[in-house]
Amino acid sequence: MDLPVKQLRSKAEQDLLDVFSAVNEALPGAENKTVAKIRSDALADYASVGLPHRRVEAWKYTDLRSQMPEAFPLVQASGRAISDAEIETALSPRIAGIDAYRLVVAEGEFRPELSDVTALKEKGAELHSLAETLEHLPEELKPLLAESGYQRSGFEVAPTATKQIPDPIIALNKALMTGGVILRLKQGAALDKPVHLINLDGEGEPSASVTRAIVVLEKGTSLDLIESYASLGGRGLQRNAMTQIVLGESAAIEHSKLQLEDAEAMHLANLIVTMGAEARYNGFQYSLGARLSRNDVRVLFEGEGGTMSFNGAALLKDSQHCDTTMVVEHMVPHCTSRELYKAVLDGDSRGVFQAKVIVAPDAQKTDGKQMGQALLLSQGAEFDTKPELEIFADDVVCGHGATSGQIDEDLLFYLEARGIPEPTARALLIQAFVGEALEQIEDEPVREALTAATADWLGVAFD
Amino acid sequence: MLEIKNLHARIDDREILKGLDLKVPAGEVHAIMGPNGSGKSTLAYVLAGKEEYEVTEGSITWNGQNLLEMGPDERAAAGVFLAFQYPIEIPGVATMTFLRTAVNSVRKARGQEEYSTPEFMRVVREHAKELKIDPEMLKRPLNMGFSGGEKKRNEILQMSLLEPSLCVLDETDSGLDIDALRIVADGVNRLRSPDRSMIVITHYQRLLNYIVPDRVHVLSQGQVARSGDADLALELEKTGYAEFRGEAA
Repeated sequence: MDLPVKQLRSKAEQDLLDVFSAVNEALPGAENKTVAKIRSDALADYASVGLPHRRVEAWKYTDLRSQMPEAFPLVQASGRAISDAEIETALSPRIAGIDAYRLVVAEGEFRPELSDVTALKEKGAELHSLAETLEHLPEELKPLLAESGYQRSGFEVAPTATKQIPDPIIALNKALMTGGVILRLKQGAALDKPVHLINLDGEGEPSASVTRAIVVLEKGTSLDLIESYASLGGRGLQRNAMTQIVLGESAAIEHSKLQLEDAEAMHLANLIVTMGAEARYNGFQYSLGARLSRNDVRVLFEGEGGTMSFNGAALLKDSQHCDTTMVVEHMVPHCTSRELYKAVLDGDSRGVFQAKVIVAPDAQKTDGKQMGQALLLSQGAEFDTKPELEIFADDVVCGHGATSGQIDEDLLFYLEARGIPEPTARALLIQAFVGEALEQIEDEPVREALTAATADWLGVAFD
Repeated sequence: MLEIKNLHARIDDREILKGLDLKVPAGEVHAIMGPNGSGKSTLAYVLAGKEEYEVTEGSITWNGQNLLEMGPDERAAAGVFLAFQYPIEIPGVATMTFLRTAVNSVRKARGQEEYSTPEFMRVVREHAKELKIDPEMLKRPLNMGFSGGEKKRNEILQMSLLEPSLCVLDETDSGLDIDALRIVADGVNRLRSPDRSMIVITHYQRLLNYIVPDRVHVLSQGQVARSGDADLALELEKTGYAEFRGEAA
């Protein structure tokens, strides 16, 4: 007897297909054959795998299929004015107050009138709305838009792995992206201030926002990029945000991503960084909001001599869940990668940090180290960390470490014995724990704003 | 006046203090000596209120207040200061932030006005200078990368900033060379005053050449076995602790 093979979809999985059918013809670039093909291929990729679940190794600790009961419709941009005061409320005054060129993406749409477009262009930056670009897609952008996030290397000893499974979150981003920005610094361009890409969504009825940011730094240019994601106080937000950073030869970026959404939000983010020769990436991810957040980070060393430092901190409470999963691929020799991730977990929250470092056979003299650390403040908190090293070269230095523990009672006693009341002493130690990662941020105003945000989270103030 | 009566204290299942009695009047410096394991450091921790040490019997009163009912921070506010034998390194906490938080916590608890940042900086600089502490050191994380001597000087700096009335110095001389010992001892001596009591815990007589005690007590097996004046320390230097070791615990 032949049993019919029937794919069972969860409600959310089916919802997502329905969302696509409903909006497909109205999405930006619908008239453009290349874009339409990218979208329909991506949807097919998504449909072939569905939402990730715990039996998918990379999603072992974040069972999205079971944690996402339904998918919200795509946000309908109203184009309404958004005041500075609203931005300040969404981001906190300190973060909104960081002196930077602003780029605002709200309700899934780039908002030039809220952004410093003229000032950026005067400084030589090239800036485009993603939605407009999709209408007449230049050939050179096609590979970036069609990016699938596939692993580039590591198949030499396992050729059977060459058939890669599509990443459904990236696939959904490709299929449904409505807006965002493309920022390019051409050789010789230089900005005197950071660029702050502010993403605001989740107003009114539950909705989904699917956006894309592409940042290309040509040879020798440098940029200080802050990306913040916040809520506008509605009844539910499902976000799918993808950021691609392409660093040319000797290009350098200081990149801080701040996740500040409300406690009901779902935040799915992909970051893909490609590193040219001698390129430098210094990144920080600060996760404070959202009930469920997942940050997929892929760093690809394509040119020799690149240096990458990725650091992060998650401050979670109640039943928040934050998963940061990285894949760092050393495809060429003489590159250095560092990861330091700190999670402070209270209530029944759960932190996940997974980092895989792949060193291709040619990538000799690779230097890769990673560390994931959690401070558990309650019995109900959980930290899962999984380092993975796949090394196919023989002359490399690679290491990984993980710790998970409670506040050290000896340290606490020392502070209390000096007259510091226990709650303050605890806060001081937590601040110090997070501070080790925050110290890696080179942009001082960002570092100070996040240090203050951490103190706010702890409910104390140290001046 | 510190008054300890019939103090029994244990850690895990081991009884360390077994009926200790001690009185330290205001303004006096008392040295506590004794062989390893006699309970010297336990006494220091119990006075400061370390949780792992369980007091099963007896009492400690400081100027009439029952110390055993108070948390470590409350004891600090009441004037108790323990200079640690092994000052703790705390990465990520800037020494200056720590000092200011501690001093202002204590001032607040004592009903004194908290220092503003500039005021505090000035006060710290003055005290640091007397202890020959490089102000650069205060910018570093607490005790991180400090030498043994720097850590002990930092303890004395904290002691002078917190203006305690009962100072407990736990083996402050350990790990110090003679120059560092002199600086630390000078710092302690400057703090001697008629309304400040001190307990100087040490294994060796050497420190007591610099900080001359009013009384010396020898601890043995969790009790005060013998008390005397400063000369008792000199005598011990000659005879050693053999007679106080007794049967092994």
